[in-house]
Amino acid sequence: MIALGFAVSGAAGALAYFFPAITTAIQDTGHTINRSAQSPPAHPQATPVPDAAPGQPFTVLLLGSDNDAKFSGNQVLTQSMILTRIDPATKHVVMLSIPRDTYAPLSTGGTDKIDKAYLHGGANAAVTTVENAFHVHIDHYAWIGLLGLISLIDKLGGVDVVATNPVLDDFYPADVSGNNPYAYERVAVLPGPQHMNGTLALQYVRSRHGDLRSDFGRSQRQQQVLLAIRTKAKLLGLSDLPDVANAMAADFSTDMSIPEVASLLPLASQITLQNVQQVLLLPPFTSSAFIGGQDVLMPNWNLILPETHKYFPAA
Amino acid sequence: MRRFLVIVLLLALMGGFAFGVNRFFALRKAHVAAATTPTLSRPAFVLPGTLYIAQQGAIYRLNKGSFTDLHLPKIGTWMQPAVVPGTTNFVAVLRTAAYSEVFLIDGGGNILKQLSHNATSSSTIQLNHWMFWPRVGSDGQTFYVSYDSPKSTASLEIEFAVWAGSLSAQLTAKQWTDPFGYTGGDVGAIPMANGALLYSKYQISGGQVYSRLAIETRARANPVYLTDAETDCGEPALSPDNTTLAMICTGGTGLQSTHLEIATLTGTKLGTPRVLVDNCLCASPAWAADGTGLSYFAPVDATGHFQLWWIANAAGVTPKAPKQVTEGLDFDATSPPAWSAT
Repeated sequence: MIALGFAVSGAAGALAYFFPAITTAIQDTGHTINRSAQSPPAHPQATPVPDAAPGQPFTVLLLGSDNDAKFSGNQVLTQSMILTRIDPATKHVVMLSIPRDTYAPLSTGGTDKIDKAYLHGGANAAVTTVENAFHVHIDHYAWIGLLGLISLIDKLGGVDVVATNPVLDDFYPADVSGNNPYAYERVAVLPGPQHMNGTLALQYVRSRHGDLRSDFGRSQRQQQVLLAIRTKAKLLGLSDLPDVANAMAADFSTDMSIPEVASLLPLASQITLQNVQQVLLLPPFTSSAFIGGQDVLMPNWNLILPETHKYFPAA
Repeated sequence: MRRFLVIVLLLALMGGFAFGVNRFFALRKAHVAAATTPTLSRPAFVLPGTLYIAQQGAIYRLNKGSFTDLHLPKIGTWMQPAVVPGTTNFVAVLRTAAYSEVFLIDGGGNILKQLSHNATSSSTIQLNHWMFWPRVGSDGQTFYVSYDSPKSTASLEIEFAVWAGSLSAQLTAKQWTDPFGYTGGDVGAIPMANGALLYSKYQISGGQVYSRLAIETRARANPVYLTDAETDCGEPALSPDNTTLAMICTGGTGLQSTHLEIATLTGTKLGTPRVLVDNCLCASPAWAADGTGLSYFAPVDATGHFQLWWIANAAGVTPKAPKQVTEGLDFDATSPPAWSAT
């Protein structure tokens, strides 16, 4: 009876410690992808593709959104969309950045910039739109908001990044730091290796006005910072989960279950940078156009699909 | 009564055990140590001359194995010191959220003069300017800096060009380089003994952004490139005798790794580069003023705090192995140290 009492009290102590992580995990994980709620795909699949079995290569759609004061609730665009293929056996990772301005049929109906799929139908629409457009099967998605990214990086003690070039922007949105989310602020990220806090890292991955490559440059920087976060996250252990959960709180969601997320942590630490392949859909894969009063990128599917299916199985 | 006391004692012990389990997990959190203030640490060994070095917005003097805080006013982030040849003074950048200024400072940390006026009182924030990487020529007067001008408040385009001027007259009298648009521009200029200017020029080719080291023998001349796009070399540091160039290269992989390389420099001809440190996060190389070695910053571990490292005889045929100079500090990796001989 006494031993049982100590066991219960020990469990209570652990529960108290992990309670924030548990509640956040329950809220943020295990969201199912509901493909049936979306419009039929332009290229219907003969049979639904099952999700990858444990240990098999799988595909995750990483989504990142501005979720500052300009936006309400889940009504956000996905400025960052990275299709990621992870092979647990070979520890090989491919990251394909989908330009946010890609003009594509949305699963919610109509054709528009692909970053609007999430705005109209949340993660279900974003996943289904990418699946339909790229003819791939997505096993999981993970979404993070800007504020969550800043908090996560600060919680990690910052990240080390080799800034590719001076990133200058006189029209950077002051929507995170200021009182007026529609105001601007100036940004100057200096080039070369450096230690970045969350705010600086966000400026680095978000700015695009001063870059000839616009969204492509930004996509490359986003992939860089993701890799830097992965490097830093290798330092974390079980005891860090409550802090990380607090940092992410309302700025993260995924369809992966808690055990699936937990199983990815050791895998992340085993992947070396040399085994990470970065893919950008630069011209001629895409070309600039002006449609419906907005600048868009017209995808050349004849080139994009074969390129995509080199790394992601066709569905 | 005795039984009651035993139960109370057991409950207290269980409560303590619960607390202990809770703290057990708390103590096992990954510990990212906060950086130490340089004045509270000592370098592993004594470096030649005097270094002015930036950490977390302050500038310290490292001399004879001891750090001194120059106690510059805490009105922004102090960085990128550069000595004024022939004097004990140096110039440094004060960075704020919207602009940066260059100041002339004496070796004791007294501000002698604000050299630039880049802040605007207008609500149009685009009228502010940045200045970084200030350098003073061997005459102690000629001034070079990367300056975000010309630009228009109506355009999104902004990049650095290298400008030249005088410490005692107009700071940015003439534009020296013509940067490629929307690339970030031209940075890290170093005045050479022959009057030419060595700098790092950013360009975009094949959808990738690269840095190339270039020399311009006069203002707005065609740049003579020392390195190609694929090697992506930047952050040049020229030895005091102007014969050896140190640089940081990424190889254009876009991954989180750099090499510290050196090569001989004869006129505008660069010799075959040699890798001194491979697969590192090396940054901001700087030659000792007496040319006996090369310093650079690199983190020791994944915590990411950049420490000072030293390679003795770096320009020689058999350079010594890199030695870590500091521990537990957090130097600004974008701010090369300034090195004076005395």
